Amino acid sequence: MLDITLSVNGATRTGSAEPRKTLADFLREDLDLTGTHVGCEHGVCGACTVIVDGRAVRSCLMLAVQAVGSEVTTIEGLGPDGGMSTLQEALWDSHSFQCGFCTPGFVMQAAAFLQAHPDADEQQIREALSGNICRCTGYQSIIDGVLLAAERNRQS
Amino acid sequence: MFRWRGQDSHNLDGPRHPAAVTVVAAAMVARAAGQPGPATEECTPEGPRMKLPYVEYEAPSTVAEALELLAEHQDEASVLAGGQSLIPLLALRLARPALLIDINGLRELSEVSAANGSVSVGAMTREYVAEDSETIADTVPLLAAALPLIGHEAIRSRGTIGGSMAHADPAAELPAVARALDAEFVVSSKSGDRVIPAAEWFEGYLTTSRRADELLVEVRFPAARRGTGVSFQEVARRHGDFAIVGLAASLTLSDGVISDARLAFAGLSDVPVRGAEAEQLLVGERPSADLFDEVARQATADLDPPADLHGSSDYRKKVAATLVRRGLQAAADNADERQ
Amino acid sequence: MAGIVAERYTGASIKRSEDPRILTGGGRYVDDIKLPGMLHAAFVRSPLPHARVLSVDVSAAEALPGVVAVFTGSQLEAITVPGPDALMTLMGATGPTPEFTLLATDKVRLVGDPVVLVIAETRYAAEDGCDLVDVEYEEMTSVASAAFALDPDSPPVFANLGNNIAGQHARTEFGDVVGTFAGADRVAEFRIDVHRHQNVPMEGRGCVASYDADSGVLTVYAATQSVHVTKIAVAMRVGLEQDKVRVLAGDIGGSFGLKIGASREELAVAAASRALGLPVKWVEDRSENLTASGQAREESFDVRAAVSNDGDLLGLDVKMVIDTGSYPGMGGMVSGIIQAMLPGPYKLAALGFESTAVITNKAPYVAYRGPWASETFVRERILDLLAKDLGLDPLEIRLRNVAPRSDPPAAMITGRPLVGVTTKESLERVAQLVDIPAFRRRQAEERARGRYLGIGLATFIEGAPGPRSPDGPSGPMGMEFMRLRLAEDGMVELFTGQMPHGQSHQTTLAQIAADEFGVPFDQVRVVVGDTDVVPFGLTGGSRSATMTGGVALHGARQLKVKVLDFASQLMEASARDLEITDGRVWVRGDPESAIAVGEVARQAASGRFGAEEPTNLEVEATFDGGEGGWSGGTHCAIVEVDVETGLVKVERYVAAEDCGALINPAVVEGQIRGGVAQGIGAVLLERSAYDEDGNYQSATFMDYLLPTACDIPRIEIEHLETVPLDADVNFRGVGEGGMIVAPPTMVSAIEDALAPFGVRIYEQHLPPARILELIAAAS
Repeated sequence: MLDITLSVNGATRTGSAEPRKTLADFLREDLDLTGTHVGCEHGVCGACTVIVDGRAVRSCLMLAVQAVGSEVTTIEGLGPDGGMSTLQEALWDSHSFQCGFCTPGFVMQAAAFLQAHPDADEQQIREALSGNICRCTGYQSIIDGVLLAAERNRQS
Repeated sequence: MFRWRGQDSHNLDGPRHPAAVTVVAAAMVARAAGQPGPATEECTPEGPRMKLPYVEYEAPSTVAEALELLAEHQDEASVLAGGQSLIPLLALRLARPALLIDINGLRELSEVSAANGSVSVGAMTREYVAEDSETIADTVPLLAAALPLIGHEAIRSRGTIGGSMAHADPAAELPAVARALDAEFVVSSKSGDRVIPAAEWFEGYLTTSRRADELLVEVRFPAARRGTGVSFQEVARRHGDFAIVGLAASLTLSDGVISDARLAFAGLSDVPVRGAEAEQLLVGERPSADLFDEVARQATADLDPPADLHGSSDYRKKVAATLVRRGLQAAADNADERQ
Repeated sequence: MAGIVAERYTGASIKRSEDPRILTGGGRYVDDIKLPGMLHAAFVRSPLPHARVLSVDVSAAEALPGVVAVFTGSQLEAITVPGPDALMTLMGATGPTPEFTLLATDKVRLVGDPVVLVIAETRYAAEDGCDLVDVEYEEMTSVASAAFALDPDSPPVFANLGNNIAGQHARTEFGDVVGTFAGADRVAEFRIDVHRHQNVPMEGRGCVASYDADSGVLTVYAATQSVHVTKIAVAMRVGLEQDKVRVLAGDIGGSFGLKIGASREELAVAAASRALGLPVKWVEDRSENLTASGQAREESFDVRAAVSNDGDLLGLDVKMVIDTGSYPGMGGMVSGIIQAMLPGPYKLAALGFESTAVITNKAPYVAYRGPWASETFVRERILDLLAKDLGLDPLEIRLRNVAPRSDPPAAMITGRPLVGVTTKESLERVAQLVDIPAFRRRQAEERARGRYLGIGLATFIEGAPGPRSPDGPSGPMGMEFMRLRLAEDGMVELFTGQMPHGQSHQTTLAQIAADEFGVPFDQVRVVVGDTDVVPFGLTGGSRSATMTGGVALHGARQLKVKVLDFASQLMEASARDLEITDGRVWVRGDPESAIAVGEVARQAASGRFGAEEPTNLEVEATFDGGEGGWSGGTHCAIVEVDVETGLVKVERYVAAEDCGALINPAVVEGQIRGGVAQGIGAVLLERSAYDEDGNYQSATFMDYLLPTACDIPRIEIEHLETVPLDADVNFRGVGEGGMIVAPPTMVSAIEDALAPFGVRIYEQHLPPARILELIAAAS
C-alpha cells in the first residue's frame, strides 16, 4: 500500500491505496467523493472526468498514485462553497440532464473547456464534448446549457 | 489511447505484450490453434474483468534510475507513460506485468526542441503540449495535423508522444506520421543509446523493436522543407475514434512539380504501411486530380487489409483509395500556400 | 393583501428539483452506497458460448487473502428456491419453461454466463479471486443463429425443452386474409431484418444486498424500474416472506427497460448476503453489461403485402422469428404486442401473423425502449418500398392509407380503437415544416455535383397508455396507486411506486399536485424507492404521464377535499367556501382568514376535534388511466451520405409529436430527443455482434459504439394540437416514441439518398461498410 496525499477541491486529502487503484476508485471509495462516476473503466465514456492540475482527465485512466501532489477538482468542488457555478446554474436552467449519471463528467469537461475557450461556438462545444457519452438526452439540452453558460460568463 | 480490436477478452488477435504470457494467454493460444472439438480443455475462465490486477510499482525520478529498473526486470516490467493505452489493457487484465515503471516523473523527457533540420520531441511530451507547440506547428506540420485527431481532449491531457509510439497501435495517428516522415526513435539502456528508424521501429501489432531493457526517450522528426503541404485524413466511425483507415500525406512542390511525396496508412495492417509505390508515381509529376486518381488506384490495388467489426477488407481498400485522392489533393492545396 | 394568487405549474418547463443534487455530485446511485462491513462481489463468467461444466475448483480462490467466500452454482442452489422468473410470472408469461440454475451448474449457455460468485473485501480482490477459479469445460456446438435454432438437430440449449423453441405464437388472422390477398392488384414480398442491439444505460446493473440476521430482514439497495417487482423477485428466490424483504432505490443511471425485477446475478448476491449475514455489493462493469446483461430486437420478418395499384395497403401477412438469446426474458412476450400494433394508424383490412421465438447462445432478450418497435419499422419500410414500386410519393402513400379520425373511432383490425389519433395532422405538419419540394430541388442540384442527400419520413403511434379498451393492460399494471398526505411541515407528500430513472417524476408529479392541491411547487415532496412506504408501481411502457399524472391529479383533489373538510371544522366555515392557494387555506373573499396548510395538518394531528375527525390527512388514490389515449407523430430526417466512405451525416431532423397535454415541455422534449438519439445510434452505430460461433464481439465501448454530440443533430420538435379525450387527464406518455420511429425515418432517408444507385434497404443497421456494399450490389 502506498501513501497518497493530494489536494482535492482545495483541501489536502490523504489515503492509502495499492498502486493499481485508479484515481476514480480512490476518489469514490477512499475519499467518499462519489460524485465522480465510473461508466466504462476503459476511458471512452467520460463519466469519470475530473480536473487535474488544470486539465480535464479521465480518472479511470490514472492511477491514484499518479495524482500524488496534484491539485484535483471534482464535481463536488466546482461550485463556490457547496453552491453552483455559473455553468451548473445554466445547465439547470437548460434542463440539460435526465438520469444524471453522465453529468459530473460532462460538467467537469465543459468547465475545463470553457475556461480555455470561453468564446467557443456550438460546433466547437459539440466536438469538445464528443468524448462524453450521454444515453438519455440526445445532447442538445447539454449543448444549450453550455452555450448559455458561455453567454452568461461573457455578460458578467 | 487503447483500442481493443473487435473481440472480448479471449480474442487471439490480442496484444502479444512481452509480459503477458500467463496461464490465460496460453489457454487462449491453445484454443485458437484449433483443437478438435468438442474437446475437454482446462483453462482459467475469463469473462470480463475491469479492475487492474496486482502489480508492483516504481516511480523513478531520473532516466538512469528508470534504466536500472528496466535492466533488472526486462520484460516483467511495463513502462507507464500517459497510461491512456496501457491502463485499459491492465484493467481488462490483458496485460499482466509484474512491475509498472512510472516515468511521469522524468521531466527531462518533456522537451521539444528544433535543431539541425529536425525536431526532437521528448517521449514524455504530452499530446496536448505538442498540439499547442508552435515549434511543431511550424516545423512538423504533418504531426500538427494529426494531433487534434487523437481521441479527445481529456486523452491528450495525459497521453504522450512516446507512449503512443511505443504502444504502436497500427490504427493510431502518430505511428502513421512517424512512418511517413521516417522519424527516428531514440532508445536508451544501461548499455547505451540506439537510434532506430521508423521503418525498423514498428514490428507488428502493438510490437516495436524496443528491447526489454530499453526506454524510448525521444522521437525525432525531420523539419518540413519549404513548399511542403500536408494532410492527415481519416475515416472513423465517430469524431475522435481510431481510424478505420487513416492517411498521413505530405507533398513538397518545387516550381509546381512534386519533388517529395510521403504517404503512410493507419489501419491497413498490423503496422503503419508506407505507400512507397504511390510515392514513386508522384515524384516528378505536377499535381492534378487525374494524377491523384491514378495513384489512388495503383497504390491500393494490391492491398489486403484486415477485416473487423468496423470494416471488411474490401471496405478498407476502397476507403484507402478515397483517402489517397482526398489526402493528396488537400496536401497539394496546402503546399501552394506555403510557396 | 388583496387576494392570493397562485402560479400555474402544469404546462410550464419548471426547473427540475432533481438537478441541484445531480449537478453537484449529490446523486445517490447504487455504487455510491457504503455500509459497514460491506463486501464486494465479482463473477467468474464463461468464455464459451455453449459448454458443459465438468468441474469447478475454487480452492485457490478461497485461499486468497481478501477473499471472504466463494459460491459455486450448486452451493447457490442449496440456499435459494428454484422457480420461474418473477417478472415473467407477473406479466403472465405462458409457454415452455426452461429449467436452469441461478449460476451455472451443469452447463453454460452464453459467453459471460455467470458460473461462480466470489466475495471479497474489495472488488479488486474479488476479481483476483475470480482469476484463481479453475473451471473445466467441455465445449458443445453452439447455437449462434436463429436459423440453426430452428433446426431440430441443433443441440437444445435447455435440456428439458428438447429443442430451441422458446415459444410459438400460433397463426392468427384478422379480417379476410385469403380474400384480400386473392383480390389485390399486387402482392409484394419482403424479407426485413432488425439487428441485435441493446439498452446500454450509463449506469449498469447492480445492488447492495444487506441481510440483518437479528431482524431476519433482507434490505436490497437496487437499481430498478420497480422496487416492488424487485422485492417480489428477491423474496421468491431467496426464500423469504415478502415482509422480510425491503427494497430501496435512490438515483438510477438510466435503464431503458433493462433493470426490471432482479437478474440472476442480483439474486445470487442477495442469497449470498443472507447466507453470510453481511452486506454485499455487486455493480456490473461495462464488459459485463455489454456481454451478459441482456440484448434486444434481432427480429426477422417475412412479409407479404396486398396492395392496390393506387397504393392502398390492403393486407399484411407476417411471419416473424425473434432470437431471444439464452435465459428467458421478454422475447416470448413481444410477439403479441407486435401483432396488435402492426396495422398502426392505417386502414389495414386484413392481417395474418405468426411468430416463433427461438433460443440461442446469446445474451437474454430484454425489454428495450419500445420493445415492439419493429412493427413500425416493418410497416413504414414497406410503405416506402411500395411507394417506389408504384411511383408514389412517400407522404402521399401514407396520407392515402391513414385511417380518418371519426366518431366513433375506427379500430385497428386487431381491435384497438384509434381514438384521438392525429397521424394525418402530423404528416401534414412535417411536410409544411420541411418544405419537401424545395428539398427535392436542392437534392437534384447536389446530385449533379456528386453529393447524395436524402429525405425520409415515418409515422407511428404508441399506446401511452393506449385507449380504454377491454384488452388493455390488466392487473396491477392496469391500475396506478398513490398515497397522498399533507404532512405537519406543510409538505404535500406523494408516495408512488414509480421509480424514475431520468423521467423527472420528482418534478412533473409535483407540478400537477401543486396545481391541484394549491401549494407552491417546492412544497410537494415526491417519495419513491422504498417498498415499506410506497404502493405498487413500475416505471415503463410510457405509462406514467397518464397513469401517474392522473392519479396525482385526482389524488390531489381528493386530498384537498379531505383537508378542506377538516379545515371547515377548524375555521368554522363551510368547506364550499374554502380555497387552498399558495399553501394556505382561506375563506374565499377573506384573505385575513388564511391559515398555512401545515398548521391545518398540525391541528388535525393534535386530535383536539375528537375521534370524529382524522388526525392524519391522507388519502389513497387509484387511477385506471381514464380514457387513456395514443401518442404518436411523424419524424423526418434529411441526411447526406458520403458514397465513398459510407459515412452518414444527419443534416436536419424534425419531429411533429402529439402526446396530448404536456406536463413539462422541457421534460417531454428531452425524452423525445433521447429516444431519437438511440434510434439514430441503432441505425448508424450500434450492434450487439456475435461471430458465427457465438463469441460476443462488442464487449467494450470500442466496439459497441454509442452516438456522441457530433452524431446527433438539433432535433426540431413541434407539439400538435391534441384531441382531448378525458375531462381531466390528457397527458400521454412520450418515453418510447422517439426510439420507435427514428430508425425507419433514418433508413428511409438513407435509401432516398442512395436512390440514384437503385438501392433498396430491408435492414436496420447501416454502418459505413454496409452502405458501400449496398451501393455496389445495386449498381
